Amino acid sequence: MTVGPVDRDQATAEFFDAAARGQFLLRRCPRGHHSEPAAAQCTACASTELAWVPAAGGASLVSWAVAWSKPGHGSDQAATVLVIAEFDEGPWWWSCLDGADPARLAVGTRLKVAFRNGGGEAVPVFELAG
Amino acid sequence: MTDSSELPALPDSGPRAVRPGRRPVIAGLGMTELGKVYGRTPAQFAGEAVRLAVADAGVTMADVDGLLTSSGVTGGVSVDLQRELGLTDLRLLTHMQAYGSTAGSMLAYASLAVQSGLASVVACVFADSPLRPERGSGAIYGTRHAGSGWWGLLGASGVVGANPMYALAARRHMERYGTTSEQLGHIAVAQRAWAALNPAAQMREPITLADHQASRWIAEPFHLLDCCLVSNGGIAVLVTSAERAAAMAQPPVPVLGWAQCHPGRYLRRNPDFGLVSGAAIAGQAALAMAGVGLADVDVAELYDCYTFTVLITLEDYGFCPKGEGGPFVASGVLGPGGKLMLNTGGGQLSGYYMWGMTPLSEAIIQARGHGGDRQAAAHDIILVSGNGGVLDHHATLVLGGQAAGQ
Repeated sequence: MTVGPVDRDQATAEFFDAAARGQFLLRRCPRGHHSEPAAAQCTACASTELAWVPAAGGASLVSWAVAWSKPGHGSDQAATVLVIAEFDEGPWWWSCLDGADPARLAVGTRLKVAFRNGGGEAVPVFELAG
Repeated sequence: MTDSSELPALPDSGPRAVRPGRRPVIAGLGMTELGKVYGRTPAQFAGEAVRLAVADAGVTMADVDGLLTSSGVTGGVSVDLQRELGLTDLRLLTHMQAYGSTAGSMLAYASLAVQSGLASVVACVFADSPLRPERGSGAIYGTRHAGSGWWGLLGASGVVGANPMYALAARRHMERYGTTSEQLGHIAVAQRAWAALNPAAQMREPITLADHQASRWIAEPFHLLDCCLVSNGGIAVLVTSAERAAAMAQPPVPVLGWAQCHPGRYLRRNPDFGLVSGAAIAGQAALAMAGVGLADVDVAELYDCYTFTVLITLEDYGFCPKGEGGPFVASGVLGPGGKLMLNTGGGQLSGYYMWGMTPLSEAIIQARGHGGDRQAAAHDIILVSGNGGVLDHHATLVLGGQAAGQ
C-alpha cells in the first residue's frame, strides 16, 4: 500500500506530531462530544473550545470503494481499497484500507487505524482488526 | 422546538403570487458547440453562449440588463464577462458558485430579480474547457489535492477526486437497500438510447447492459459507463418577464418553482451519506411553490454525474419509495417509449457535461416542444435538478410548457 506525500500546515501541525507517534487525534469539546480532526467547532454543540484527544484506534467500516488506476503502459490495473471508517468515539474518517479483500468486507467490519509514510508526514490508514 | 403548524401561513411568494406580467419565463437558450472543442477559453465559450441566447430570444445585447456568471473546474468565467460582451449599465451582475447546483440557483435568482423588478432581461451563463487533446477525461477531475494540510492528507490517503467519493456513497446505498450495479446499468443504457436521438450528444452508439457490466472499473461499484463525460463548451439561458417575452422570438418557458437544499456535513459523520440527498427537501419545496404534485410532472431532467446520482434523486423526489430506486429503474420505465420521460437528451452520461446546464438546457428544449425525434408528447410540467459536491448541494426547478404559460 502506497500513500502519497503530505506536508503539514498550521492547522495540521498537532495532528501530524501525534501521527508520528502512532496516535490519531480527534477534537473533543468540554461536554465530551468528539468531532473530526479538521472540525473548527464541535459538530454536536458548536463549541469552539476544542481539545486534541487521541482516538483509541478502533473503528467500524461505514462504506468502501475500490479505486482502479487507468490501464496502460503494459502494466496491470492497480486497485486501492478506500473506506469511510467510523471511530468508536463517533467521528468518521476517509482513507485507504491495507491488506483486505474487498469481497469479504461488510458494513460494520472491525478496523484499526495504522500509519504509513509516503515521503512527508505520517498518513493514517486502516487495517482489519484482529 | 417550534411546531411549524402553529406558525401563521406565509403569503405565497412564488411566481404564481406575482403580477402576471412580471412572472419569470425563459426566453432564450444559447449552446455553443459542445464536447471535444479545443483551443478556446471558458470566457470565449461563455461570451458566445450569451450571444447565442440573445439571438435565440430575438433581442439585442442592449436589452440585457442582468448577468449571472458561473464557471467549472477550470475557472476563467467571471463578472469580467460584462466587458467582453460590451454590456453597459447592468442592474444585476454577480458570479455564483455552488458547483453542480449553480445553474438551478442562477435561474432562481434571475427569476427573483425579474419578478421584483430588479432587472428585466437576465443572462445566466456557464462555461468550461477542461479537455485538452493530449489529456484524458479522468485526469481532469482526478488530480490529487496539492500536498499540504487536511486536503493534502485526503489526497495522500488515496481519496482523489469525485469518483471514489460517489462510489463510497453508492456502496452505502447498495449495502443498505440491496441496490445492484446491474440496476444502475439500466440508467446508463436508457440514457444512451435517448442520446442516439439527440444530434448534440457526444456518445450516440447504443449500449447494452452487458456493455455496461464489461466496461472497466473506475471506482467500484462504478464502471466507466456509470460516469459522466467531460466536455468543453458553454450554455447560457435568458430569463425575462412574461410581459417582455411576449414580443420575443421563442415560446416562453415559465419558471414555476425553485428551491435549494445544502445538507452540509461534508467529510463529517453523516448518517444520510449515500442514502438521502438534498433533493428530498428541495424537490418538495419547488413543487409546492409551483403548485403542482409529482403526478403532474411530464418530463424529468435530473443531474447525472453518475448513474447513482439519478437513482438517489428519483427516490428523494418521490418517484419511488426510499430504497426502491434499483428495482424501479430496472422495471422498464426508462428510455424512449418508457413511462418516465427521464434525461431525454442523454444527460451528462451520454449527452454533454455542462454541470447544471445539461439538465436545464434539455428541459428548455422539451418545454418548447423542440425535441425533434426525442420530444416528449406531454411537456407541460418539467422537473429539473442540479447537484454539486458529493451530494452536498441541490437545486430544483419546475418549468412549465406552453399550457402553463397561459
